[in-house]
Amino acid sequence: MDLHLTAEQTEFRETVRDFVAREIKPIVQHPDRLQDFARKLPLELVDQAAQMGMRTLALSEEAGGAGADHLTCCVVMEELGAGDPDIAATLAQTSMLSHILFDRMMTPAQRGRFLPRFVAEDRHHLAFVLGNGNGEVQWGYHRPREAPGGEMTAVRHGDEWVVSGIADFVANAPIAELFAVQVKTDQAGPGAGVLLVPRAAPGLTVDEMNGGAGTSEEAPMMGWRHGTGGKVVLGDCRVPLDHLLGAQAQSPLTRDAALIPGGMLQSAAINLGIGRAAFEAAVDYAKLRKQGGRQIIEHQAIGTKMADMAIKLEAARNMIWKAAWAADHPDAGADLSLPGVPLQVMAKIFVSEVVHEVTEDAAECFGAMGVMLDLPLAKHVHDALVFVHSGVSNSVAKFRIAEAVAGYRQPAPAGA
Amino acid sequence: MNVSLNDEQRAWHEKARKFAHEEIRPLSLKRDRVADPRETFDWEIIRKGSKLGFRTAVVAKEWGGHGIDFVTQALVISALAKADSAIAKTFSQCWKWSHLIAAFCTPDQKERFLKPFLADDTYLLGHAGTEPNAGSDHRLPPEDDPRSGWRLKAERDGDEWVLNGEKCFIANGAVGKLFFVDARTNPNVSIHEGGTEFLVPIDVPGLRVGKVFNKSGWRFYQNAELIFENVRLPHANIVGKVNGAYKTRGGRFGDLELSANAVGVCDAAVEMAMQHVRTRWPAARYFADNQTIQLQLSEMHMLTEALRSFVMRVAAENDDKLATHSSFNNILLMNFATDVIQRVTRLNMDVHGSAGVTAMDARVDKLVRDAVIWTHLAGDSVQRMKAVRRMKLS
Repeated sequence: MDLHLTAEQTEFRETVRDFVAREIKPIVQHPDRLQDFARKLPLELVDQAAQMGMRTLALSEEAGGAGADHLTCCVVMEELGAGDPDIAATLAQTSMLSHILFDRMMTPAQRGRFLPRFVAEDRHHLAFVLGNGNGEVQWGYHRPREAPGGEMTAVRHGDEWVVSGIADFVANAPIAELFAVQVKTDQAGPGAGVLLVPRAAPGLTVDEMNGGAGTSEEAPMMGWRHGTGGKVVLGDCRVPLDHLLGAQAQSPLTRDAALIPGGMLQSAAINLGIGRAAFEAAVDYAKLRKQGGRQIIEHQAIGTKMADMAIKLEAARNMIWKAAWAADHPDAGADLSLPGVPLQVMAKIFVSEVVHEVTEDAAECFGAMGVMLDLPLAKHVHDALVFVHSGVSNSVAKFRIAEAVAGYRQPAPAGA
Repeated sequence: MNVSLNDEQRAWHEKARKFAHEEIRPLSLKRDRVADPRETFDWEIIRKGSKLGFRTAVVAKEWGGHGIDFVTQALVISALAKADSAIAKTFSQCWKWSHLIAAFCTPDQKERFLKPFLADDTYLLGHAGTEPNAGSDHRLPPEDDPRSGWRLKAERDGDEWVLNGEKCFIANGAVGKLFFVDARTNPNVSIHEGGTEFLVPIDVPGLRVGKVFNKSGWRFYQNAELIFENVRLPHANIVGKVNGAYKTRGGRFGDLELSANAVGVCDAAVEMAMQHVRTRWPAARYFADNQTIQLQLSEMHMLTEALRSFVMRVAAENDDKLATHSSFNNILLMNFATDVIQRVTRLNMDVHGSAGVTAMDARVDKLVRDAVIWTHLAGDSVQRMKAVRRMKLS
């Protein structure tokens, strides 16, 4: 057992931490931005981070990326998340997909066509599109579940695929240049596959989801994800036949979207970053603010909150790092070094629960200032709350753990 | 023990429910989503509510008010808060200080301030205690340290007092016409012995409204800075006695008020959650098959009813003038309400987001943001320690 980070990992961490302090925080924590209900993704900062390699973090070195493993990605994403979860989520999504698509799924010919532009352009982002399915799908517990995303179809017409379907929320969609679309095909391999659809493909449209919505009495909904996202509609969208990926082999993307390897862990790391940012702000403030003639950190009621926060964040980081290490060492399960439990799902649930508590405790240290929109605390609380319900929500994620504990095995979805 | 309501209580409750549903609710989300904190307020709803008696409900009948009892007050607040917690609080904030006027103001003060309050539908009341370095946390030990507490200074000049200093987070600060202002009249002793309360009309020279605070929840409610620069007040504007601010508080109403408001927010959350499971998926399979959801709904109902029972008991205790009841119940109630409102609004969010969501119902989100105010508005852990310290000392 070795808990040392490599020199490369600590260097990455310091670089990103410095970038967050110097470049990200002054912009994203500016009171004007904090109070803006319709705040947009700060694309210039995303570009800067891309130039530093965070867009291609997980992409192999041969392909032009940093070739970071899961643990390194988590270390970096915690730092970026502490700066801004929107920036972090955008980069994490592209980085993770770049590794899966370019390193693992594409043929050399496909790589030759799509990789050079992806590597060359800082604002070339990727999105994974899973068609709308039955909303009840995830709720199955101890019974077979349908494959999600069943409504996206691809039909072969001559030397093209004609793709049709709707996906209501696709992370990165407004800025993606290349979409990996999971489709049901009539011919390809086992009946499902992933098609590469460039942004310029005729028939592809994206509606950005407006995070500032929520005033309509008829549909009072507000955006509830990090980063940027939107509705993707494919209407008789045509792409060449050789844009099909994963037709023959088992695709890592044909599973539940939120369970894409590494995706859940990186989200948890971003989530942890939010908790750390709130905690550090609370410690700084508690050392500054005096009441009753003493710094409030010297009051037991505040001091024990600090201890609780520190314990929770440390435990959360342990969960993430262990799950990341396990993902980097698939053999560790085989030799019984690790228990056969879904460590990633466990980490996601645990981290989101405790970070939410941490942000609330941290905000409470600020008294009334903890709910003011021109300070970052109210944003940290809200950002943390989103993680409890986004992706696979915690309620549903617990079903997967319980099934694993019981030894239940999901039969292969019909038609997959 | 009798838990039935009389006809008058029932009538007020019904009137509040109707007003809340027909007038407040359609407005609630719209005002919440106004970005500028100075623009979230709406005078029309205040006028409408005032004409129905909600602004002046607790002023005694002999002075021209309605004189409703504590049980009715709790019923009305929770009914209004079910539609919008912050709008309900804007009305009940006036009750809080109506109680104080009744208990401590002289006939002359009542003549000068209560009459205009009763006559004007837009006359709102507030209290200015908190300062940048003196909020509920001045109760952190040692609370009798002269360095703790308000620094706003009041100095005597003949028949007048001159006030200088700053207050922050003041409720109804940007919209109120009359404020009960806590000032330091003797800086060498604790605020228990050196604090005085003044009646301050908003239009007195030297007083101005500063920043309106931009809160994540209770957005309708106007918390603002009040800045005092050589504000001159007649001696006749002192409430109670000089250095007697701590003896002239608004009674125990504040804790009951907030707890009754929390009941309304919980009622809204329970109703939303039940509606969601009924309609989210056809044939109610979502509900029928899912123990997780059933347990969440059960907990929401259980906590809400427990809070309601506690609120109504404390309200009834406050109405019972013959019996002597523990004043700790008010503080413990407030602490309980703070826990329950967090939990119930969070569970409502869990029910709505249980399958993982990309967009959250804005009202679900609002209830959570409003609920968070409870852990910040009166110094939650400080409040808890206060109850125990009083028990120990009594």
